[in-house]
Amino acid sequence: MAAAALDGTGSADRRNIVIRFFVLNWGILLILVAWEGWVAANDFNPIVMPSPQGVFMDMVSNPGIYVENTSVTLFVAAVGLAGGLAVGTGLAILTWFSPVLSGLVSPTAVLFSSVPVVSLIPIIARILGYNMATEIAIVVIITFFPSFVFTTAGLRDLPHGSQDLFSVLGASRRATLRRLALPAAVPNMAIALRLAAAHAILAAMIAEFLMGTTGLGYLFAVTKQEFLTERAFGTSVVATAISVAAFLATSHLERRIRARFT
Amino acid sequence: MRASSRLTAIAYGTAGLAGFFALWQVIGHYQLAGLSWPPLTAVLQYLFDPDRHALFLRAIDATLRSTVAGYLIGALTGIALASTAYTLPVLQRGSDRFAAVVNSIPSIALGPIFLILISREATPAGVASIHVFFIVYVSMSSGLASASQAHEDLFSALGSSRLKRFLRLNFPSAVPAIVSGLRLSWPAALIGAIIGEWFGAPRGIGILIINSMQNFQIDLLWSAVLLAAMVSLFFFGLLTLAERAAYRRFR
Repeated sequence: MAAAALDGTGSADRRNIVIRFFVLNWGILLILVAWEGWVAANDFNPIVMPSPQGVFMDMVSNPGIYVENTSVTLFVAAVGLAGGLAVGTGLAILTWFSPVLSGLVSPTAVLFSSVPVVSLIPIIARILGYNMATEIAIVVIITFFPSFVFTTAGLRDLPHGSQDLFSVLGASRRATLRRLALPAAVPNMAIALRLAAAHAILAAMIAEFLMGTTGLGYLFAVTKQEFLTERAFGTSVVATAISVAAFLATSHLERRIRARFT
Repeated sequence: MRASSRLTAIAYGTAGLAGFFALWQVIGHYQLAGLSWPPLTAVLQYLFDPDRHALFLRAIDATLRSTVAGYLIGALTGIALASTAYTLPVLQRGSDRFAAVVNSIPSIALGPIFLILISREATPAGVASIHVFFIVYVSMSSGLASASQAHEDLFSALGSSRLKRFLRLNFPSAVPAIVSGLRLSWPAALIGAIIGEWFGAPRGIGILIINSMQNFQIDLLWSAVLLAAMVSLFFFGLLTLAERAAYRRFR
């Protein structure tokens, strides 16, 4: 294998890697080139609109600030996401046990998932106060809705006839949940995770931005106000990168779970 | 039997919603959540006070304009990019990633970019369009790929051109998915417009929300959020009806 890398096939491999890179990333490269060209063409002052290079330099020379605030945002998003998924799944299971509860709660929850929940963030901030616990609570509330809606649908979307089989064999309600409904709901839960993970990071950042406490949203708000535009854009780049990473990771997880459970 | 179970469902749903409103009222009335949680009646009174009609109507007008503009621009670019990537498969993976990255730019960071790129007034529509673009792109892409293999084979066997196959087969079979995408992207468009307004739009529901939050005008804050929810639900309901019609025709 090492010999193959040394002779002609090595450069062919390298060319393949370059082509693969372009096929995957032409859109992102296009954004960067357009950005750089646009800044150069308009001769913008870096305070108005920094160039990609300037932003990159700021990120490389001040890694501490970025790492610190990113970890705060990730912490808030992760804890809130876990809470939202737990509450959403828990309530979905409760409504599965009780048709009455389901009839009472589900329409309201579905109604809520089609209103702009982000606009609730200012209200929650006012009620709970401006601190990190509030940010986590906001993420819990925002991620609760997709989790509840998708898990509820999954618990009811059972293979045809399986429910009859379970009742004929005299399975208890609890056994039916554990052996039939929960496994059937897993792919839907994976969809909920993918949607909720994206919402979690966004909600955490908006909360931080509005309340001005800590994290990437706060860093963005402060640097924008102080005209540290390069750092504000650096913050956006980092936030975009972690959102993309979360999206790719959860999409990958969803595909694997789907392959395993369907 | 079915009609009666449907009636029961409606009764439970209404009871649940009524319970939610009652809880809201009780918590507000007894100030269980502090002064920042007004009773529902106080919010409704504030919202429907004739003196404030002009204020709220102006805000709805501005926000709806931005939302609809962003909605249309986002939907058209989403459909266009998904169609292009479908007809030129070499672009597909790169454009998927492009859409995912654009969608991952935090909306609060999109605001300042649109502020420089276009203008203060057009920023809400810009942020809204990005939100819509991604949802429509994803649903259009999966809709285009949903035509059955047998139909694809039939079209190739009869020697139809790529373009004709796209127009006669792939596009029609994508319609239900597009319509679902259009329905789901409405609340996202409204969120985008509201966030976009935070960056200095002259008026709009988002402006009412952010100003009342900062100035501790609790009744106004809740009224504006309730207004946003009502506007969202009204159009979401209309789009759901449109979706049903499209499903009946195309599936």
